[in-house]
Amino acid sequence: MTDKSAYLTTEEMWGRLFSSPSVNSFMTAGDEYTELPGLSDYITELCSAGSVKPEVVIRRANIERSYGHRLFRGSRNPSRDTVLQLAFGFGMDVKDAQQLLKVARHAALHPKVRRDAVIAFGLENGWSVIETQQCLYDNDMPLMGGASHV
Amino acid sequence: MFEKLIDRINELQSAVYLAGHGNEWFGLDEVGEGPDASDLLAELLATYEDSAYPAEFISRYTMTECLAERNGVETYVVQDAQGNRYVAKCYDRSVWSFGEDTQNTAEFENDQSGDYRQDDQDVHRGNAGISFSLLKEIGGEGIPKYTTEYSNDAMFVTVREYIEGIPLDRYASENELSREQITDICMQLCDILAHLHHRDEPIIHRDIKPQNIIVRLAETESWAETEAETEAGTDAETETEAEADSRRQEKLHIALIDFDIARVHNSENDTDTRFIGTVAYAPPEQYGFSQTDARADIYSLGVLLRFLLTGSPRENKNISVYKPLAEIIDKCTAFSPEDRYSDIDQVKKALAKANPSAQRLRIAKIIAACLLAAVLFGFTGFQIYKAVTWTPFSEDAIPAYTSDEERVADAVSYMNDKFDTELFSGNEGGLDGMTGTDAVATIGLLKTVLIDCYGLDADYVNAPNTEMPHESEDFFLPWTWNDSQTINRSVMVYVAVKLYDPERVADWSSLKDDNGEYPGERVAAAFAEETGIMTGANRPDDITIGEMALILANTDRVFTAAGAVGE
Repeated sequence: MTDKSAYLTTEEMWGRLFSSPSVNSFMTAGDEYTELPGLSDYITELCSAGSVKPEVVIRRANIERSYGHRLFRGSRNPSRDTVLQLAFGFGMDVKDAQQLLKVARHAALHPKVRRDAVIAFGLENGWSVIETQQCLYDNDMPLMGGASHV
Repeated sequence: MFEKLIDRINELQSAVYLAGHGNEWFGLDEVGEGPDASDLLAELLATYEDSAYPAEFISRYTMTECLAERNGVETYVVQDAQGNRYVAKCYDRSVWSFGEDTQNTAEFENDQSGDYRQDDQDVHRGNAGISFSLLKEIGGEGIPKYTTEYSNDAMFVTVREYIEGIPLDRYASENELSREQITDICMQLCDILAHLHHRDEPIIHRDIKPQNIIVRLAETESWAETEAETEAGTDAETETEAEADSRRQEKLHIALIDFDIARVHNSENDTDTRFIGTVAYAPPEQYGFSQTDARADIYSLGVLLRFLLTGSPRENKNISVYKPLAEIIDKCTAFSPEDRYSDIDQVKKALAKANPSAQRLRIAKIIAACLLAAVLFGFTGFQIYKAVTWTPFSEDAIPAYTSDEERVADAVSYMNDKFDTELFSGNEGGLDGMTGTDAVATIGLLKTVLIDCYGLDADYVNAPNTEMPHESEDFFLPWTWNDSQTINRSVMVYVAVKLYDPERVADWSSLKDDNGEYPGERVAAAFAEETGIMTGANRPDDITIGEMALILANTDRVFTAAGAVGE
């Protein structure tokens, strides 16, 4: 039989990774699409708010250049992995990355998923995409961008 | 406990700091032997506990995404070693029980304490039947293939095909779906449901909603394609109208997912004791009035159709829906299951009849056959061609009369009978108190007809007296009129067409186009030309009460003949 008390709750698991106490606020699944801004508007806004050029974000995200520009123009729906790469491109922490995933209508990073934990760890510690990919590779996990662009 | 965690994080972060800046800060050529962030991460990962998941499942798949976690079910996207994606559902056995002796039927325990045992089956049998052996059988077009199941003491895991695509609620919020696309989606859903309902042991999905319908993407975009497009037009900042138009004509392929609460219909049971489903989409009996059968899915399909057409699953009388489809919605969502379609095939037939593109296709086929006949038989071909090109709006729908007076008299009695009224006899509503069918009709009369006979909302009919032009979408009559004003024929035709087929004139705006014409009026006029709904109404301005009846009666007959208006 399973002893439930041996498992950590979701919140405890996040606590184990990071000190942020307000996990619930960004773990709620967003099916109210109408209330969310479009991804392209959102990332364009982020660029101007942070005075950073899309070009730089795309390069740091290690996304193919022309595909990256199409993301900013709004003509493509990126996969979850591509959105995560964008989060690295912006140098986001986990909280901001969760918001970005939500805007892109993708599932949030979940502490129960080891691969997500590695990615979250990388984001929170300011790793680059390459460093994080290396870590995924070392841990025998699928690299970001391996799946198709949906 | 918490201090420990915070210390841990600080430790992790300072380690990363050192790893990143060690060289420059300490003048070292190589990173020192100090704590490495990767080691700390490895340590952290080592704390992950997998023993709850079946070992074979964990060794074969890597979880990449957690889609949901509720009611003791975790849903993950997983990848195998070849990079193929699947959806895995992990059922916590402390919440779910499985009668594994016969069919692997899972039953949700009402009491979360876990005190229930398998022998309490009189309480739980059939509550939320999930039969995995059945799920494996039911694969087909538009249904994800179930591949395997894994089990241990703590969990039961099912693995199914991952459907590449976008949930319909999101697709509909981001793309304007055409009526053809909406009808087609619902018809595809009918096919999928027919496959489930028409088995020896019917399977009722019971959670039909846009979130559970995936719009499949025909092929995923390649980098090459993206690059080519970028080179071709870097200034194409936004989608052109032509692109949007062509997207509205695309055929969308769908799949139905989430067979979590799908169940085998057990005709011996008469009530579902526990509510399962999604509130707006669930039929009344799913709240426990009686056992749900295939008509529960028919109900939800009706709600889905309404959502796709109006943007809301709930009824809104202010949004006019293309009438043939509105009738299908009403019949699907009747409170009592007896009043609904009894079989999903009937829904599909009704949708096919209401689907304009299907009708056009049918006409095209008939024309093709007639052209062939014309070649073969020479002289009769043209006449046959002429006859069939009028469908679905047949000229024969409007009876032939020797005089316009006869037409008017017939139309007046037709309309009075149809709506059980005297309004069209002209006892009131004529200009300057004139009476009789020859009296000039007023806007006031028209508004009464719209409200009393056609059941339109008074606020929707009465446009506010604001500055011109005002937005037309919120009001049936796009102009601001006084009740004492007269009506010209083209306005009457516009009103008649809008009553029966609002989408046909939906591009209407109160702004005149480049030709100085109102687009909706022009569309309505062309339609009148094609179908003959103006037959007998001879004067362009100041139409009479009789002519008003005539235009409305002609329109009603034309649409009834086309099968678009039910009795």
